[in-house]
Amino acid sequence: MERRKFIRNASLGLTGLAFVHQGLGQAMNAKSKKLTILHTNDTHSNIDPLPDNHPKYPGMGGVAKRHALIKKIRSEEQHVLLFDAGDIFQGTPYFNTFKGHLEMKLMTAMGYDAATMGNHDFDIGLDGFIDAQTHADFPFLCSNYDFSNTIMEGKTQAHTIFYKGGMKIGVFGIGVNLESLVPNANYGKMIYKDPIETANQQAATLTEKGCDIVICLSHLGHEYKDDRPSDRLMAKNTRNIHLILGGHSHTFLEKPVLESNLDGVPVLINQTGWAGINLGRIDIDFDQKFVKGNSIKVE
Amino acid sequence: MTKMLWIICIGAGLMSCSSHLVLHQTSLIPLSKEAVFVSETEEVIKPYRDSMATVMNKHVAYSPCNFVLERPSSNLMNWVADALFVNQTKTVRLSQPAFCLLNFGGLRATLNKGEILMGDLYKLMPFDNTITWVEIPVGLLPEIAAYLLKTGGEPLSNAYIENGKIVVNGLNENHSHVWIITSDYLANGGDNMLFFKKGSTYSSKTTTLRDALIEEATYQENLLEIIDKRIR
Repeated sequence: MERRKFIRNASLGLTGLAFVHQGLGQAMNAKSKKLTILHTNDTHSNIDPLPDNHPKYPGMGGVAKRHALIKKIRSEEQHVLLFDAGDIFQGTPYFNTFKGHLEMKLMTAMGYDAATMGNHDFDIGLDGFIDAQTHADFPFLCSNYDFSNTIMEGKTQAHTIFYKGGMKIGVFGIGVNLESLVPNANYGKMIYKDPIETANQQAATLTEKGCDIVICLSHLGHEYKDDRPSDRLMAKNTRNIHLILGGHSHTFLEKPVLESNLDGVPVLINQTGWAGINLGRIDIDFDQKFVKGNSIKVE
Repeated sequence: MTKMLWIICIGAGLMSCSSHLVLHQTSLIPLSKEAVFVSETEEVIKPYRDSMATVMNKHVAYSPCNFVLERPSSNLMNWVADALFVNQTKTVRLSQPAFCLLNFGGLRATLNKGEILMGDLYKLMPFDNTITWVEIPVGLLPEIAAYLLKTGGEPLSNAYIENGKIVVNGLNENHSHVWIITSDYLANGGDNMLFFKKGSTYSSKTTTLRDALIEEATYQENLLEIIDKRIR
């Protein structure tokens, strides 16, 4: 653990230096402030590509290919962030055999900036998660799971802020209710807090801290027929969230959907399916001036 | 890449009027079969993959078709429920009927046409859930039927839903109880199958569902495809 903290602190220091140089470069070149957000969800221990005889997605996915794509995008773009919206664990023999260690190692190698926990990330209990987490050099963001009475205390954080090219990016995580989904023994005395209420609080806090954009990593699921909390419900019933990167429902969205929030401001919601078949990408420009009276323009 | 331009004004409230986000070029990038990969990453994975190969690449059976997951019922849902039902009932004499009820969400992968390896059964049933028998009074059957109609279908064997009612093969008016063969996860109310908590658990065995499926797949050698609709 100590070694991990040291590495994290060291890398923060390096990021700080890089930031200063980027800032100077930008002032001189007057480059656009563009942020590229990459994301996955429900990768479910799919480290190898799906088999060639898979009826729907033959040979698709695979960590080594995802890593190549991420590297390529990083070489092309100045400011890139990489997130996962949970359910990293469970689905292939890699997880049964190595208990999540390889998943965490590979996500660290790919340079994930943050992730949230999905219900299957509790499948080997809190102690199993902590054990695998020793290989993760990125934070787990969980704002509505209160772990203070468990061995997970201090192992996750509600939110974090990234600084990229003068931009301040606030990110928080929201998890699904584990009751009836995960055996109680696997999460112990964790207290589940209302996801929408918590999301609103987190988004307000990050906005007060001066974030230019607020992103929610959500494992609620995209949308339900009943009134269970979902990404769409969260978007509608909150304010200050700009982007929801979802998971849990394994929803393949060809393009992100828009939902108006409590202030009538559109919130972008995306999800990439499952098994690492796709990598989601969203590019954001910060410094282009607003062009027309309408708040949304889709071309 | 999807050609799109999203322009979103985030002017409301706390931010200054000149502060806007322009979201553009959102895309879902498929990682195709032919996509390039990072060889160093492959090097990290290889020893892990190799160390599992003896166990996970072991031949189990052949599949004559693609077994798919589709509600209300599909050949894979039928195969899993039938395999578990047969595995559990073939050597016992029962004084009351039994049927098998599992959950759609518990089946995590398809079984594809061709050779079935041990790893494929781990992908289908990655959980270490154990086989559990629950004895329930017949009076609870309408609640189970209502659950199945609400969710839109779950793996079911030796029973079916017709006109909103559950029909259990072999059940008659002399029976006050039936057995349900399921997993410990569901018997404990997982996936909101709360009716199980009103029954009395007979035994949660040490055998996992996966082990029973491996045993039946090995016995079948060519997996049996049964395509009848069990929710109709």
